[in-house]
Amino acid sequence: MTDAIGKIELAKMFAHAAEEIRREHSYLSELDSVAGDGDHGTTMLRVAERLEAAAGANTPEDLGHLLRDAGWSVMGVDGGASSALLGTFFAGMADAAIGDASMDCAQVARAFEAGLAAVSKQTKAQPGDKTMMDALVPAVGAISAAAASGKTVAEAFETAASAARAGADSTKDMVARYGRAKFLGEKTRGSPDAGAASVALLFQGFYAGLAFERKG
Amino acid sequence: MRMKKFINDPKHLVPELLEGLALAFPNKIRLLGSNIVARAVPKAAGKVRLVTLGGSGHEPGLSGFVGEGMLDMSVVGEIFAAPGAPRCMEAIRTAAKGDEGVLLVVLNHSGDVLSGNIAMEAAKREGINIQRVLTQDGMSGDPAVKDRRGLVGFLPVYKIAGAAAEQGASLDECCQIAERMEQNTRTLAVAVRTATHPSTGQAIFELGEDEMEIGMGQHGEAGTGRMKLKTADETAEIMLNMLLADLGVTAGEELLVLVNGAGATTLMELLILFRSAARILEAKKIKLVRSAVGEFITTQEQAGFQMMIARMDPESIRLWDAPADSPYFVVR
Repeated sequence: MTDAIGKIELAKMFAHAAEEIRREHSYLSELDSVAGDGDHGTTMLRVAERLEAAAGANTPEDLGHLLRDAGWSVMGVDGGASSALLGTFFAGMADAAIGDASMDCAQVARAFEAGLAAVSKQTKAQPGDKTMMDALVPAVGAISAAAASGKTVAEAFETAASAARAGADSTKDMVARYGRAKFLGEKTRGSPDAGAASVALLFQGFYAGLAFERKG
Repeated sequence: MRMKKFINDPKHLVPELLEGLALAFPNKIRLLGSNIVARAVPKAAGKVRLVTLGGSGHEPGLSGFVGEGMLDMSVVGEIFAAPGAPRCMEAIRTAAKGDEGVLLVVLNHSGDVLSGNIAMEAAKREGINIQRVLTQDGMSGDPAVKDRRGLVGFLPVYKIAGAAAEQGASLDECCQIAERMEQNTRTLAVAVRTATHPSTGQAIFELGEDEMEIGMGQHGEAGTGRMKLKTADETAEIMLNMLLADLGVTAGEELLVLVNGAGATTLMELLILFRSAARILEAKKIKLVRSAVGEFITTQEQAGFQMMIARMDPESIRLWDAPADSPYFVVR
């Protein structure tokens, strides 16, 4: 067994991520109505559809092209900051030196680190600001750590999914310091950030896609 | 929840409203490919292009100001959502087709800023001469808040930079004129009743029947000043005093004052509020040199208004008075 993922695995990861979002989109909109205009679930549904389509049948085999196309397609969703940043994340992954047809765990880590670097160029938000970064930064960190200690890609996404979940949960007690929600200050305490919750669902889906692949 | 709105399939709100705009003003605007509003007749070759972007549901903002002497193009997002960077890129490319410079006017809302920045970086990589002005006129009620939202203060920026571009100013000059106007503009919003999101039917925010909130955002993002409903005179006085203090206006200075209805507040109320503002300025010996009262950016049937002041000088007055022919702002 070579431990690497290619277009087929990416397609499964994106499909499962979309499934997670479809199941929870009403909850995501509800979270967003605490601090925003309550449309985050709708935005994430569109993001998920684009991700799914980007890894579908008639898309490039070359992973760099596939991820760049997926990213620009997600950026094309009119969804405010979340779709712009998530699109930037996937497009940014293509900046890393990754294999044409498949990525091993170290390449996956490099790709996710490059994605995070691209996002960090567009937003000053840091973990602790009650944004998607609270889930994204630990998730990418978990993948890097897993790659460094020789774990498999599936193991890396297992730890990334829990890290993203823990990060999203931790936003519940935070006060928004970034984006539209910061104008609400203390009123944002008590419910998790919608963007962070979405990132946790995406990583949960990525892991499920790989776990499903192993069983199947 | 059932909405009382004259709409069809909520999925088609944006294309249908744009189609209506184009059918109503065929001599002024036309639609391009993917929800981009452009002038019916492009301005002369070589002149700087003004491009803006923003979500829908705020009509006539922003596309209602595409036309001679104002915007060249507006990239239209979904309801209350920024358009994505790829479409902004498409508009910028089209606008700069003849190698003209592009001034991108972005209202300070996180999604708009992101899409604008991503598109601007991509445009620069393609060799397009582009600069950006960020409008951030909106006080949130707490003057200490530095990162301010873009409210109706986009209007004088469109008008004045648009007039300068029409008269042949360079991209650097247009950008400087726009920046100066922006820095001299302040807006405060107040809401008394929420709107419903036209796609979801959900209320955007909750506000007690006898309450109002000063410092609210375009989409009902909460401000800091919730209080019992006051009279027009009292409300105007509180807001105008905050605006004047923040902009540091002193006696003898010249102001443009604009009162913008949020959607459900009547013109009667807006005029009564404007009267209050004018009387207060008179008492403070501040000169009211230009004015505008009406709906320039709305949020569905939200009740409330925005009060905007802008410090004017002879040049900005001259550009404000220059001809404009957009669907919802005309100067002859």
